[in-house]
Amino acid sequence: MSYAILTDITKCIGCSECVIACKKYHDLHDDRPRQWHRNDGLSARNWTSIVIRDNDHYIRKQCNHCLAPACVSACPVAALQTTPEGAVIYEASKCIGCRYCMIACPYGIPRYDWDKAVPYVQKCNMCYERISRGQQPACTEACPTEATIFGDRDELLAEAKRRLAAEPNKYIDHVYGEKEAGGTSVLYISDIDLGFLSYPLRKVKQPLPDTTSAAMHAVPPAFVGMGVVMGGLYWFCRRRDKVSRQENEKEQDHHE
Amino acid sequence: MNRVSVFKSILWIILGLGLSAGITRMIFGLGSVTNLSDTTPWGLWKGFNVVPGIALAGGGFVLTAIIYVMRKSEYHRYAKISVLLALLGYITAATALVAELGLPWLVWHPVIYWQHHSALFEVAWCVMLYLLVLFLEFIPVPLEETGWLASVRRFLTKYKIVLVILGIMISTLHQSSLGTLFLITPEKLHPLWYSSLLPILFFISAVAIGPLMVILAVNVISYLYRRELEEAKLARLGLFSVGVLVVYGLIRLVDLIVTGKFGELVSGSWPMVVFWIELSLMVLIPIVFLSFKRLRYSRVALSVATASGVLGMGLNRANVAGIMLVNTGRPYIPTVFEVFISLGIVSAAVLVFLFCVERFKMWEGKWDDPRNRDEAPPEFDRVSDVWLGTPRLAYRSLYSLIFVFSLALGFALISGDRLRSEGIPDIEAAPARGGDTLFIDGNRDAYGVAFAHLDHSDRLGGDTACVQCHHMNIPLDKNSACYRCHGKMYTPVDMFRHDWHASPDGGNLACRECHPADLPRTAATAQACDHCHQDLIPPGATIEVVDYEAPAYTDAMHILCIDCHSREAELSAENDNLDQCAACHTMRQLTQMPPEKRTLFRDTTINHVIIPGFEEIDRNEGRSQ
Repeated sequence: MSYAILTDITKCIGCSECVIACKKYHDLHDDRPRQWHRNDGLSARNWTSIVIRDNDHYIRKQCNHCLAPACVSACPVAALQTTPEGAVIYEASKCIGCRYCMIACPYGIPRYDWDKAVPYVQKCNMCYERISRGQQPACTEACPTEATIFGDRDELLAEAKRRLAAEPNKYIDHVYGEKEAGGTSVLYISDIDLGFLSYPLRKVKQPLPDTTSAAMHAVPPAFVGMGVVMGGLYWFCRRRDKVSRQENEKEQDHHE
Repeated sequence: MNRVSVFKSILWIILGLGLSAGITRMIFGLGSVTNLSDTTPWGLWKGFNVVPGIALAGGGFVLTAIIYVMRKSEYHRYAKISVLLALLGYITAATALVAELGLPWLVWHPVIYWQHHSALFEVAWCVMLYLLVLFLEFIPVPLEETGWLASVRRFLTKYKIVLVILGIMISTLHQSSLGTLFLITPEKLHPLWYSSLLPILFFISAVAIGPLMVILAVNVISYLYRRELEEAKLARLGLFSVGVLVVYGLIRLVDLIVTGKFGELVSGSWPMVVFWIELSLMVLIPIVFLSFKRLRYSRVALSVATASGVLGMGLNRANVAGIMLVNTGRPYIPTVFEVFISLGIVSAAVLVFLFCVERFKMWEGKWDDPRNRDEAPPEFDRVSDVWLGTPRLAYRSLYSLIFVFSLALGFALISGDRLRSEGIPDIEAAPARGGDTLFIDGNRDAYGVAFAHLDHSDRLGGDTACVQCHHMNIPLDKNSACYRCHGKMYTPVDMFRHDWHASPDGGNLACRECHPADLPRTAATAQACDHCHQDLIPPGATIEVVDYEAPAYTDAMHILCIDCHSREAELSAENDNLDQCAACHTMRQLTQMPPEKRTLFRDTTINHVIIPGFEEIDRNEGRSQ
């Protein structure tokens, strides 16, 4: 069963109840401005935040829980993992703190404990303990307007499309997260463009792990191939030297 | 002082500064010495030490391939030096990598936790294996000098070719896997650098520039130790690099044109300028200076070509590994301590390099070993008690002294705020502006709260309502504004000015007027403020605590407002939302404001964290560069 969260931007009133619920459930303490924060409200102690856009648009930001996550494919020690429930979870005990996940994430989601001597990566885990117990995440439970709801991904996708079809003038005809970076478990429908949620240079349609898989598959053949080439070259050069030395000797014999 | 000792003194200074910053980083965490942030998780250490460092260590595998596999024995003299360069390059990179890890003591985790889809997993394994191979390749040199473990040395020397080929195989993977690292960032890396050929480009450029790095090192040594330089032979080695550089340049340009990025090459943007500078330094200048016969046998041309190639390659790697990644947050400028650590690691490597050059037989033939030189003067003349040669011991004391001083200087430079990882120093709370509606915006970031002041006082009972919020007045004032006591945005403030009270220009009080004579003179035993200032707390005030410490401005606002708001929310059904954050932190109020006032404020939210001096970038997140 793959779960998802659907956020309807047109229903969000920006009350931040989800942010408070998240902070309370995960026991994330207060925060204050730090030089290392990105200016979208997410931080090591804010796993979800409300980004405000013009004309009363409130966009709840959190880990998008990609179906083929770049962070999972980037992590060298498999500390980040996908789960059957659709949540991308983080196992702190394996983490070495390389922060390659932060480089890889197309949405810039993972945050770091910059102020700790023993720092970890921090991000939304879709309240994994709660959803594996059959409960819904703290944030969707707290939402007073049902702007953000939790459920089966296929059903929510159908629900999103039903809403788009029912009120085509209200929404932009696009379920954000259906196909972005190979699809995500956090879906948005909205009346404004949500492209700003991801990094800007290219719109990535294919799952990001695909970008490196060709190079990673080439590793064993490249390794063996280089060994064979170098071994062959060594054999060839040695033989060449030997032959030329013999010829030299022969010539010298001849001269004598 | 000769050239060598001046150079070494500088290196020891940098090493001392770097070590102090490094120790601080290990004890207090990354935030204490770096400017790394959530938007630039990899900084100077990756962009300067790790990625370029490994690329420049490529000379090791290229030279050993030329010397041992292709059996070009004319370059045999440079075999040991290139292996040593590679070993030190890798140690430099590995040290920087470990310094940058958040949990450096778990650096061995890739050995037990496998994740073979990750380019960084491949990098980790390559670094570990190649370090081992390089160590085995180099260890015969010191063993030969000391005479230890002769059988091991003979074994390693005999099967050197196996190590050499293994080293080449691992290097091939490793040089290219550093390119693979950045394949996963198509939406971040600038199109002029992002290419699906990145792994191949990284490998080819390492093959090209590696020998140039070896030539540069040989050149520097010959300058420092005043030894003759075999320009002709080195220039011939340089020709090999020229050939590979031509291939590299062509692949790079053709790849850009084929993938339809020709427009970027002539766009006139600053990344384009950097691209052409990089390509000139890395490819054009070495080719020009090394391919013309008239130029290439001169020492100057050799120096220019190699230095330019090495710089260009460093710039290329730095661009891919950081500079050209889109940053949507605060611009990243490394702190001076990051620079210290970066340079300190390099300095340590150079010192080890010089030590090896001086102590071990790094060269074949007579040229290399100064101790074999007949003309070398005795170091100490016993008859006259005069140092003739290099007074080694004297220099060692000098280096130690310099090192200890710079270590202390480094610690002294690190301020307390950084150690507490405060991130930014706290800022003064600014007074609220406005009249009937007050704009509360303590940090002047334009994300504030519009507080209906008149409305509140009317509702709470007119003129008698003031004391409900203005719970304390500073002496000789009435209804003191919040910021007068809660002076800092995020940290509590000490309200009591002891110096002023004791000073003849201020309160001119004797100690006993506050501190009882028979008790120790502490804050706890002193008279409370309202002992003298009876009007400090106005009658009827809601908050009657007198403490020397005033809460931070944000805390004060929240305590005062939330207390009352949540009470009201419970009491009345229509004000149900009053205890929500959005009740105050919202744009709703703004839309009811006259437009000319609205421009003062953009919007406000509890999540927004704005850094002073930080331009509002998130609003334009969608905009690149």
